[in-house]
Amino acid sequence: MASTTGASLKFTSLSSSFKQTQVPLRGVSNVNSVSFPSLRMRPGSLRFRVSCAAKPETVNKVCEIVRKQLALPDDSSVTGESKFSTLGADSLDTVEIVMGLEEEFGISVEEESAQSISTVQDAADLIEKLMDKNCA
Amino acid sequence: MMEKGVQRWVVDISTWDPSTDDFSYALSLLPQHHHSSITRFVKKDDRKRALISWLLQYALVHEVLGIPYHEIVIKRTLEGKPFLECGRVCLDFPNFNFNVSHHGDYVAIASEPLCLVGLDIVSHVIPEKETVLEFIQNFSSCFSSLEWDQIVTAGSNDEVLTELYRYWCLKEAYVKATGSGLAYGLHKVEFYHTSWTDISVKVDGVRNAQWRFWLSELGKGHYVSIARGHPISATESYKRTLNQTKFNEEEYNEGLLLPNVSFVWRTVEELFLVIHKAKSSC
Repeated sequence: MASTTGASLKFTSLSSSFKQTQVPLRGVSNVNSVSFPSLRMRPGSLRFRVSCAAKPETVNKVCEIVRKQLALPDDSSVTGESKFSTLGADSLDTVEIVMGLEEEFGISVEEESAQSISTVQDAADLIEKLMDKNCA
Repeated sequence: MMEKGVQRWVVDISTWDPSTDDFSYALSLLPQHHHSSITRFVKKDDRKRALISWLLQYALVHEVLGIPYHEIVIKRTLEGKPFLECGRVCLDFPNFNFNVSHHGDYVAIASEPLCLVGLDIVSHVIPEKETVLEFIQNFSSCFSSLEWDQIVTAGSNDEVLTELYRYWCLKEAYVKATGSGLAYGLHKVEFYHTSWTDISVKVDGVRNAQWRFWLSELGKGHYVSIARGHPISATESYKRTLNQTKFNEEEYNEGLLLPNVSFVWRTVEELFLVIHKAKSSC
């Protein structure tokens, strides 16, 4: 049964809430090395991070990923305040964006956390929180 | 006359190319407090879709329930699902409720007199920056193993995509019907079908016979699904907007077994006319 969520954004015309993606690939061969990064699987990569990324860098990276996914023109404004739904993310886009963020930052986003994200800043904050955990 | 509460309307917005003035006019047909929810969208196409979504809601409520324009109050739950605030005006039906969806060229609305209704349109988009296999991987956790097997063994890339989109469309209709939105748990709803008819569902592994589903195509590679189900399955916030969530079997079947009607095509111009007239009359 579907249960009440915080601020599910499905009905604001275009949805922008996130979905957890923890289940690994099922029965389909990897064409690319698309992996589901998780803390347990990539401890080695922590060594190569200079530090847990500074806030503006993280936000910018999220903006970049979102821009690409939503095919937004370079001149369109995407900032920390930008809401995914407002930028035009539909339900499929939203899942792809989370996947993109997980890959980019080597994190695993829980369903509960994903649902509270509505802006780029929310995503960046969550990413940093998860990466802090990685570093600790 | 419960049948009257079952409505399925769709608009093709691909040929509507409004100038700034045209768009302002269209916007003026809607109450001021909805305007920002339309104009906030960055892309023009999204603004168009949002505007038509609202017009459909007002037109539907006005035509089906006969509520005067100025008395129509449409709000949204915490999760964002629109609902009609009823009061004394919609007692014709036990639970008049509706749902809108848009994707690609179409915007549609569906209503039901008793059961929850969810609607979803999915446009068959071919991924540009990645292969089909790479693309579908993103969504693997949203499907049960049974469904995933169906998807990956569907055949050509096109057939694989079609299978994915169809399942996705049904799942979306279900979560939209309950009012939870795109939340977790898409993989908990497992669909069974016979060539995409006789569609049934298992929720958390348990067969739920109180739901009906239909999947069809609107044209130009757009899939559309309808979910009809028991009000008891709605989220708490959406349940509060309904009149009745408990029914005995006979009462519930009156709603569940109503015929599913085909989509009726409306045009943007028609909608303008309907709303304009409704707005101008006292």
